[in-house]
Amino acid sequence: MGRPRAPKPSSLGRPFALAVLLASIPSQAQAQSAGEDVFRTTCAACHTTGADRLVGPGLEGINDRRDREWLIAFITTPDQVIAGGDSIATRLLAEYIVPMPNLGTTRAQAEAVLDYIRGAASDAPSPAQEEAPPATEEQILLGQALFQGHTRLTNGGPTCNSCHDVINDAVIGGGILATELTTVFTRLGGAGVRAIIGSPPFPVMQKAYEDRPLTEDEVAGLVAFLERADAEHALHQPRDYGIKLFGFGVVGAALLLGLYSLAWSGRKRGSVNQEIFDRQIRST
Amino acid sequence: MTALDTFLFVAFPYVAVITFVVGVIYRWKWKGFTVTSLSSQFLEGKMLFWGTIPFHIGILVVFLGHLVAFMLPQATLAWNSQPLRLIILEGTAFVFGLTVLIGLAALMYRRFTNARIRAVTTPMDIGIEMLLLAQVILGCWIALGYRWGSSWFAADLSPYLWSLVKFSPEAGAVFALPWVIKLHIVGAFALVFMVPFTRLAHVIVAPFNYLVRPYQQVIWNWDRKAIRDPSTAWSAARPKAN
Repeated sequence: MGRPRAPKPSSLGRPFALAVLLASIPSQAQAQSAGEDVFRTTCAACHTTGADRLVGPGLEGINDRRDREWLIAFITTPDQVIAGGDSIATRLLAEYIVPMPNLGTTRAQAEAVLDYIRGAASDAPSPAQEEAPPATEEQILLGQALFQGHTRLTNGGPTCNSCHDVINDAVIGGGILATELTTVFTRLGGAGVRAIIGSPPFPVMQKAYEDRPLTEDEVAGLVAFLERADAEHALHQPRDYGIKLFGFGVVGAALLLGLYSLAWSGRKRGSVNQEIFDRQIRST
Repeated sequence: MTALDTFLFVAFPYVAVITFVVGVIYRWKWKGFTVTSLSSQFLEGKMLFWGTIPFHIGILVVFLGHLVAFMLPQATLAWNSQPLRLIILEGTAFVFGLTVLIGLAALMYRRFTNARIRAVTTPMDIGIEMLLLAQVILGCWIALGYRWGSSWFAADLSPYLWSLVKFSPEAGAVFALPWVIKLHIVGAFALVFMVPFTRLAHVIVAPFNYLVRPYQQVIWNWDRKAIRDPSTAWSAARPKAN
């Protein structure tokens, strides 16, 4: 009977550790890819992973500059953080003008995207950063036609004026569900406008173009039109359809009521007893 | 807020539709003679005309408009891609929406001021008319304040409604809409929910020929001249005044 031998570093142990290690590699990669997906679909319209600003600041080194919990709170509920008067959020809003919208990002998504930014190549330029060539007249006219629908978007998305208005005599008054875009070029810059049209970060716009993305040419045309509209807006007249639509409604409703009265001209206007009462009066 | 949104735009629509189906079947099968709007035309007819005609024609047109944008979103967007067609569609829809409001206001005025109508009014009638009034006011408000609704309905609300139909609700875009539109959506499902409990049950009266049948006129079912003629056999209460 010998001394009980200490268990050998199990014969299974090494392969098992390797398996765990191997298994963890795809899961890390998955997390990284999940973060990248979130970044691409919800952040990239306004932010780069480098130092360059688009609509919002470049996010290079953001994990070192800010507290993790603050970042998660700001990514998941920016509206509440801004409304709460947070000093950093207030300063950012003053600097970047456009408030970050609440995009319904979950805590897990926020953590994944922060991990992705930490590992992302900070010097990789986002497509939006590349210098765009000056717009041609054809592009501006294409953008104008696309904006109000004379030319339909290739993939069948709704025309911009369904929700957006822009002061420009060449187009009809647009929708007022979403932001007015006359001076959007001044507010966001060409890169920001291009990024938002190409990859909308706002839930309503995202859903509208989810399966019907704009083509590169369409994005370029719309950006060109918005740049022109911004530059020339002082020369154009705003169109307020509110009062006109209301007036049209009132006149139309009055006409319809008249039409109904005519169509039902044989209707019984009085009580069913009226004839009898009238006959009594006549006979006395 | 998100929990409330999830309840209102994901859970409540299913609750409303299930209640509608079960309630309507129950009312039809076990309370058949109550599936009616209980006409009050024989109590008052003059004011009724200015209420019921604009209201019913208007609500049918507006409802069908919503239905087309829901069923055929791409066709709606294609129609709206020409600015003139968009303006004609929106203007026409608003006109009919306004006649719904005028008609409903006339019907409610009649209900509150006419003693005969008050006598046959139930609390549920007032409740459902209030809900309808709120819904119609919100609809007109949206048409003016959040134009062009037919386009963004087709782009955002049609996919949302289809996601409900396919049992994979995607309501993210709806959560982000202004509260006026969200209230209008909740109001619509609330109306569906209320159908089995109110006079709205008349929308399901078989054989569903309300759209095409000749209009009916409700009158006393006896011959007034005959019963007042002393030479007829009618003698239960012989007329004395003439």
